[in-house]
Amino acid sequence: MARKTLKYIVILTPFPVMVFSLFLGASDNITFKKIISFLFMQEATDAEMVKTILYHVRLPRILLVFLTGGILAASGSAMQAIFRNPLVDPYILGLSSGAAFGAAFALFIAVIPIQLSAFIFGLSAVSLSYIMARKNKQVSIVSLILAGIITNGIFTALLTIVQIVSDPFKLQSIVHWIMGSFHTANWFKLKLVIIPAVIGLFVMFLLRWKLNVLALGDEEALSAGINPDRIKIWILLATTLASSAVIAVSGIIGLYGLIVPHLVRMIFGVNNKSTLLMNLLLGGAFLVVIDDISRSFKGFEIPVGVFTMLICAPFFIWLLKKTNTGWQ
Amino acid sequence: MAMKGTSIISIDKLSFGYGHNQAVISDVSCNISENTFTVIMGKNGSGKSTFLRLIGGIMPYHKGSIKVSNVELKEFKLGERAKMVGFLPQHHKPVFPFKVSEVVLTGRASYVQFSPKKTDEYQADKALEQIGISSLKNRIYSELSGGEQQLVMIARLLAQQPKILLLDEPISHLDYHNQIRILKLITELVSTNITVVAVLHGPNMAYQFGEEFIYVHDGQVHEVNDKKAWEHQLANEIFDNQLFPVEYKGKYVFIPQVL
Repeated sequence: MARKTLKYIVILTPFPVMVFSLFLGASDNITFKKIISFLFMQEATDAEMVKTILYHVRLPRILLVFLTGGILAASGSAMQAIFRNPLVDPYILGLSSGAAFGAAFALFIAVIPIQLSAFIFGLSAVSLSYIMARKNKQVSIVSLILAGIITNGIFTALLTIVQIVSDPFKLQSIVHWIMGSFHTANWFKLKLVIIPAVIGLFVMFLLRWKLNVLALGDEEALSAGINPDRIKIWILLATTLASSAVIAVSGIIGLYGLIVPHLVRMIFGVNNKSTLLMNLLLGGAFLVVIDDISRSFKGFEIPVGVFTMLICAPFFIWLLKKTNTGWQ
Repeated sequence: MAMKGTSIISIDKLSFGYGHNQAVISDVSCNISENTFTVIMGKNGSGKSTFLRLIGGIMPYHKGSIKVSNVELKEFKLGERAKMVGFLPQHHKPVFPFKVSEVVLTGRASYVQFSPKKTDEYQADKALEQIGISSLKNRIYSELSGGEQQLVMIARLLAQQPKILLLDEPISHLDYHNQIRILKLITELVSTNITVVAVLHGPNMAYQFGEEFIYVHDGQVHEVNDKKAWEHQLANEIFDNQLFPVEYKGKYVFIPQVL
């Protein structure tokens, strides 16, 4: 009963949150009054400026933040299911360190686009983990996670080299990128992300119930007539594609893909059939709120990745202690 | 329906080994009768679990043949095989706290394209009812006792509606009460025209409930389709002459010779 009510709340939340967020921002000139009169009467003082800020700055940013939060949470949830491990997040196979190196490298040589480089190196890192873990045509979960740790190590080392040889100005951009931020969000970035994001989400949604079958074990899945390896590869492809696309434009948003799936599980249970949508919606709306906080600071902007850590972590620990999660 | 005793699984010259080392199962041929409770016994490491998993299609075989209803097991599509043969692996707990109803519903995977439908939920409910554990439906699977979990996993297999159930040590970690509960359930299932093959360890339980027997020893399989012959084997060969038969009402109880 209560769960059903909560479900509707989560389904209905994103829209008002996003509308509310349109009113928030660092610009002093754009007052609540001006926005209202612009939206409802199309005539306001500084109408052009209000339009530019709302339509070209805030709206694409809010949509991009929502998509990023939703995809990180949905991917995290799907990956925890295929790895049968609640400690996994979308970064486990080296996606984040690969993308971070790619972005830093692009910032350093200043020839290739940052997003493209981050996307390609993110994908390459995951592929590297997969190839390293593959033995006798099989990929075990443990060797895959180990390979991911190794890959993370390799790209973190490479990233350090780039950071050391970069001049202080570039170094600051690199650090800013790594901590994740949306202050350069625009329609172009949203367009870059939308296709891989939708493809990835579509595959995750098709396979969401099969994740339940997988959760019981490979032999149990095989016995029920499901090829577990095939599902795992599809989910890995989908989550990697979608996550690397959003990472490429947002930077690294730490802990998010780990924590939101747990929040959703505490509220809605573990059935992947319904939790995937909840992850997308709650993950999206929650990150919009966190980004609101990050961009409400006047003068300078603190990367949103800092806030996901500082806000999510204590909240998560509080929930973990309060709820009976059933972990052994 | 088919008569008791006709062969539903025919195994011919089956060999299997892990890696390139010695064979775990070597050159095995035997038949498993339809609508019968066949018990597999053997020491730890004798190859009985491997044998059962090969029949269940959990591991691929490269030498020899396994025919189920006269069709080579390899030729089945995954989903079609699942409707024919259901395999219950040795017990373990899943990581995530799923509800019992969600666990049982996963047995319907071979009937489901992407998401389960009403009929699948109906069959899952029916399976729970058949075993008499409908009351557990909304409980968390990982919080149940070992016996209840085993019953739920069997319900999951029934929701799959296979003709043959292969159970790998279904009662090994259960108390006496639950052991008998599961074995009685197996007997009931066999009477509804389901073939059951189970790996068991206790000689008495196997003897009381089993109808046909397979003894696995050093990768070899010995078929015993006659209960009298099985009594003799139990007493003299299988446990290296360690079991002493005691007769009670025409049946035997086997006690270890500790003297």
